Amino acid sequence: MTAQVLSASLPRARPRERRKRRIRGSSIAVLAFLSMCALFMALPLYVIVVTSFKTMPQIAEGEIFSLPRPWTVEPWDKAWNALCTGLECNGIKSGFVNSLKILAPSLVLSLGLSSVTGYALALWNVRWAGTFLFVLFMCAFVPFQIIMIPLILIVSGIGVYGTYWAVAVVHMILSMPLLTLIFRNFYKDIPAELMAAAMMDSGSFWRIFVEIILPMSGNILIVVLILMITSVWNDYLIGLTFAGFSAQPMTVILANSLITSRGEVIYNVDMAAALLTAIPPLVVYFGLGKFFVHGITAGAIKG
Amino acid sequence: MRMSRISPQLALTPALAVTLVAFAGSILWTIYMSFTNSRRFPSYAIDRESWSRQYSRLFDDGAWSTSLKNLIVLGVGSALAIVFGFVLAAMIDRERRGQGFFRTVFLYPLAVSLIVTGLAWRWMMNPGLGIENFLHEIGFPHASFNWLAEPDTAMYGIILASIWQSTGFYMALMLAGLKSINPEIWSAARLDGVGVFKFYIEIVVPMMRYTFLTCAILLSLGVVKAYDIVVAMTNGGPGQSTWTPAYFAINAYSIRSNIGFASAAATIMLLITLVVFLPLVLATAWRLRARERA
Repeated sequence: MTAQVLSASLPRARPRERRKRRIRGSSIAVLAFLSMCALFMALPLYVIVVTSFKTMPQIAEGEIFSLPRPWTVEPWDKAWNALCTGLECNGIKSGFVNSLKILAPSLVLSLGLSSVTGYALALWNVRWAGTFLFVLFMCAFVPFQIIMIPLILIVSGIGVYGTYWAVAVVHMILSMPLLTLIFRNFYKDIPAELMAAAMMDSGSFWRIFVEIILPMSGNILIVVLILMITSVWNDYLIGLTFAGFSAQPMTVILANSLITSRGEVIYNVDMAAALLTAIPPLVVYFGLGKFFVHGITAGAIKG
Repeated sequence: MRMSRISPQLALTPALAVTLVAFAGSILWTIYMSFTNSRRFPSYAIDRESWSRQYSRLFDDGAWSTSLKNLIVLGVGSALAIVFGFVLAAMIDRERRGQGFFRTVFLYPLAVSLIVTGLAWRWMMNPGLGIENFLHEIGFPHASFNWLAEPDTAMYGIILASIWQSTGFYMALMLAGLKSINPEIWSAARLDGVGVFKFYIEIVVPMMRYTFLTCAILLSLGVVKAYDIVVAMTNGGPGQSTWTPAYFAINAYSIRSNIGFASAAATIMLLITLVVFLPLVLATAWRLRARERA
């Protein structure tokens, strides 16, 4: 399956040894080309950062790539405390809090459900495990729109529409197939002798999970955690369709402010608000990039 | 030992319930509703005389044909990201100085919400204040980069942002694929005096055909789901020129408040996904059989 194929391709030590050699012309050309590409890739982030520190008069001059002169943090203050969405100007800080309140239960629910499911499917003899894995593999590809309306009807029927829990549960549902496949692929490599010994020792499904399997799962938990943090924080569509008005995450508030705003556009405040939204996942990315790469290649089927 | 057989089944119940209700059940529910006249609220009576009414309305709708056309345009255009991803991966893999740095820079767009980066792209395509103005000032007075304002070019703006966002992802997949190629092949090719370009095109690319196939399928599925990028770049405009099926389905539900109509659009999305998905299943089966025979 793709998930296996992809997770088999994690960073590995390469046998080809690295010889010291002098820089050749072709190397310089390649490095120059790569640097040009890196500049192009970094351009949008650079533009957001410099614009968020500029004053509006300087922005009106139209030099998009110039550095701020003078530097000002006023746009950041305004974005945090007084960004306008529609008629209200309460800043993006409420969205930040909402995003955190969505993130925490989403992480607990999805990691809990998919790690236990992956463990049961990988290490316990369940007769229909193969069929179920195949169905999960299919579910991982299903477009959100095909299940969206029934989910909204169910969530409204229970009476939790527009709460943090509704958004978190939908995140759990949508991430379950992929995360279960990732956990299952990790746990299936646990040696059979170890499981046999554990079975002799206690034999209890839950005790083996808590006492033996979980302590071994550090790496995969970090990978999945990072995958989930970035995807929940960056999510727009689920927040838009399940959060109602009171539980809107940061991305939804940001989009409302950017897209529905009328009249004069205050670019520097918009950029600061966008950057505030992007900072948490960027910190995770630049801090723990290795695990992030691991996660998106293992979770490639999420697309 | 009886316990040990019941506990795993018990532990799988929540996942099974999610699969049956939230996936299988909801898909069938949506398909069923696409044959009803549900508007703001679902109604469950199938109109026997014109059960396919929502579908004929859908295919008569100009915005839907635009959406389907854009789906193909976006798919073909974004495919460049796979090509760029392969070129970058091959370069990074060969020239190993700065590998970590380049990988970090090429991949960061994936860690940021498209709502954020879409704003940056819209800002750079702003005619008065963005790159167009910059080009005019450095001596290209006729340069035009105001793509998003014109219905004819707005899709190209979205494609550019989409390539920018996903190239790093395909690069990461390609790097993983390149690392699994036996290093002896490199030495053998060097001994035979095969040129670098010929080596990559005639030896490496065929060896990585499964990686390319995976990338192509992931790209197609991503295009079918393309929603955030449309909202962030153009919000469907100018007019309806940049609608995609994913955007159409959400719009039919939230703006037109028509559940039956939205369900029909979602059902067609599912069909498109199946068409893309089928080759993956076949290829996987083919590959497994090839491996067993070997």
